[in-house]
Amino acid sequence: MSSYIARRLIQSVILLFFVSLLIYLIINLVPGGPFDLLRQANPRITQSHIDRLNALLDLDKPILPGKYCPQIGDEQQPCRFDQGRYIRWLVKVFRGDWGTSWTVKTGMAVTELIGIRLGYTFLLMGLSLSISLLIAIPLGIYSAVKQYSFADYLVTSMAFFGQSMPTFWTGLMAIAIFAVGLDWFPTGGVRTAGLEGDIIEALGNVITFGRSHPELNGKELMLIYDGLHHVALPALVLAFFNLAGWSRYTRSAMLEVMRQDYMRTARAKGCSNRVMIIKHGLRNTMIPLITLIGLAIPALFGGALITETIFSWPGMGRLLIDSIANVDWPIVQGVLVISAGLVIFSNLFADVMYGLVDPRVQYK
Amino acid sequence: MSSIAVPALDQVIVNKREKSAGQWTLAWRRLRRHKLAMVGLVILTIITLASIAAPMLAPYPYEEINLYNSYAPALSPGDPGRPMHYLGTDRLGRDMFSRLLYAGRISLLVALSVTLFTVISGAIVGAVAGSYGGGIESSLMRFTDVMLTLPQLPLLLVLSSSLRQFSQLQMFLGSNFSVIIIIFVLVVFGWMGVARLVHGSVLSLRGQEFIQATRAMGAGDTHIILKHLIPNSFAPIIVAATLGFGGVIIAESALSFLGFGVMPPVPTWGNMLNEARAAPLQDLFTQALFPGFFIFVTVLSVNFIGDGLRDALDPRLKM
Repeated sequence: MSSYIARRLIQSVILLFFVSLLIYLIINLVPGGPFDLLRQANPRITQSHIDRLNALLDLDKPILPGKYCPQIGDEQQPCRFDQGRYIRWLVKVFRGDWGTSWTVKTGMAVTELIGIRLGYTFLLMGLSLSISLLIAIPLGIYSAVKQYSFADYLVTSMAFFGQSMPTFWTGLMAIAIFAVGLDWFPTGGVRTAGLEGDIIEALGNVITFGRSHPELNGKELMLIYDGLHHVALPALVLAFFNLAGWSRYTRSAMLEVMRQDYMRTARAKGCSNRVMIIKHGLRNTMIPLITLIGLAIPALFGGALITETIFSWPGMGRLLIDSIANVDWPIVQGVLVISAGLVIFSNLFADVMYGLVDPRVQYK
Repeated sequence: MSSIAVPALDQVIVNKREKSAGQWTLAWRRLRRHKLAMVGLVILTIITLASIAAPMLAPYPYEEINLYNSYAPALSPGDPGRPMHYLGTDRLGRDMFSRLLYAGRISLLVALSVTLFTVISGAIVGAVAGSYGGGIESSLMRFTDVMLTLPQLPLLLVLSSSLRQFSQLQMFLGSNFSVIIIIFVLVVFGWMGVARLVHGSVLSLRGQEFIQATRAMGAGDTHIILKHLIPNSFAPIIVAATLGFGGVIIAESALSFLGFGVMPPVPTWGNMLNEARAAPLQDLFTQALFPGFFIFVTVLSVNFIGDGLRDALDPRLKM
């Protein structure tokens, strides 16, 4: 088992290298560099301005190791070997230097910025995943146990409807109905205007026993309540979209389990319906579900990206969209590498968990 | 045949008819029995025809601006002597209904071309990997796995915004360049599912006798892939393509909604929703309702059809 985990870990790290190269290439694909648009916008900016900006940000060097022929003004300098921007960036990433933001928060370290935003995204994703699983698993089990009943048809057709409603529509409709029409929730943001501190800072304070934000001591409960009031609507919208898929997965996994011999044995030895479904059925149904949760993380992250945009939730997704729109490459690279790492390691986690919860699975 | 039982005449006729029906006729018969799939097919046909006939059906040109009549409610009267605004108007006073019809053309066109290209490229990758084996197979399928582990939506955003900055590309492709970029980007990140599917089915077909017979008669790899392997994997490809079609509509709308897809003034359901976000909060409901509803109904019908097709083409149901 431990050798399996070690091998998978090494594979995942190698994969992450490839993915980071791919990400770096895609971002640096633009031939004119990030300042090409600048020149179109302002005719007074000349090529030599652009050249100087590129040299300042190291963008005149080749991406991959190769020949580098610097040009200062019209003067051609002698060519020399350059290790390439990608390698240099990678080494810096390992040292913890992910660069600084160009435009979104000019001069701020990317690691610091992402560190702040990560908490908000995890809160949104975690909350919506918990909500959707807490509703979907009982729903799926019930509809599998009562297969072909009216409730079963209701659940399966609801799944169809849910999967056909994109979050950017349900999100806007939820704002229009629950925030504007009924005024139950705020329309967006993370805290009520005028409050000092928000839910993430308050939670940080609770974990560190009041050391991270001493000025917020005693206000934590109020801040957490305020934050939950703000996160409720985006989390529900995101959960609604995933609910459909989860209830269908649970249903089909449970149907598969109910066909097994051990279920008949359980019934034959006189198990009550309840014990049979919960102890024998549910536990075995969880095995495929755990893998699916790991595989669903990328989609969840994508959904969070859209939901954050609609509800002005200051997470990683919104940071990414802001930095793409403002040509802030260091942030874009950072966020993409983090999300790729998240995806790769949640896959690894799913595989390892699969072996832990199911003793029948043998790793070689 | 046994000589003891003589089958009744009508039974013979039924059997004869059953035998003469091909695989696709049988599948069509099964599909016709699937009520939801038929409902989906009818709705999708109506939406498609209405979009194609947009220039004839639309009461107003989609880009006609009337700033004196912005955010008009549904069924409000139009300009004197002209039809009313059935679904109201948007921020610039443009007729919502006309815009929705024209938007349908772009959204459906994008979804159709993306589905077509993903199926073609995925089928080629899967078939080549499956029929050659060895190093080609493992490197192609490894690459497919790597593509599947990428965070899709963030990379879609980055790639489409990168491509958009190619000024040469922009000049080359003309005014519809954002549509072509979005198709390209969605194909780049969309072919993996079909590739895996075809790879799997080619692997199971490869060892069968009819392939060996074809090879013994001197057929080359290209002939075997195009004439035998791909046609025999049609059923799962069609189901995957149908369900993928709905996914593409959502993906295109999501990108356009976030401002990285099809750019205005070309309307799509996604960028109409994006424009709805700029509406005052009390107008948000009517502005967001209709474009989203069109996406929802289209995707729902496609999913119903896909579900019906899966039942109709599922090899486990076949005799």
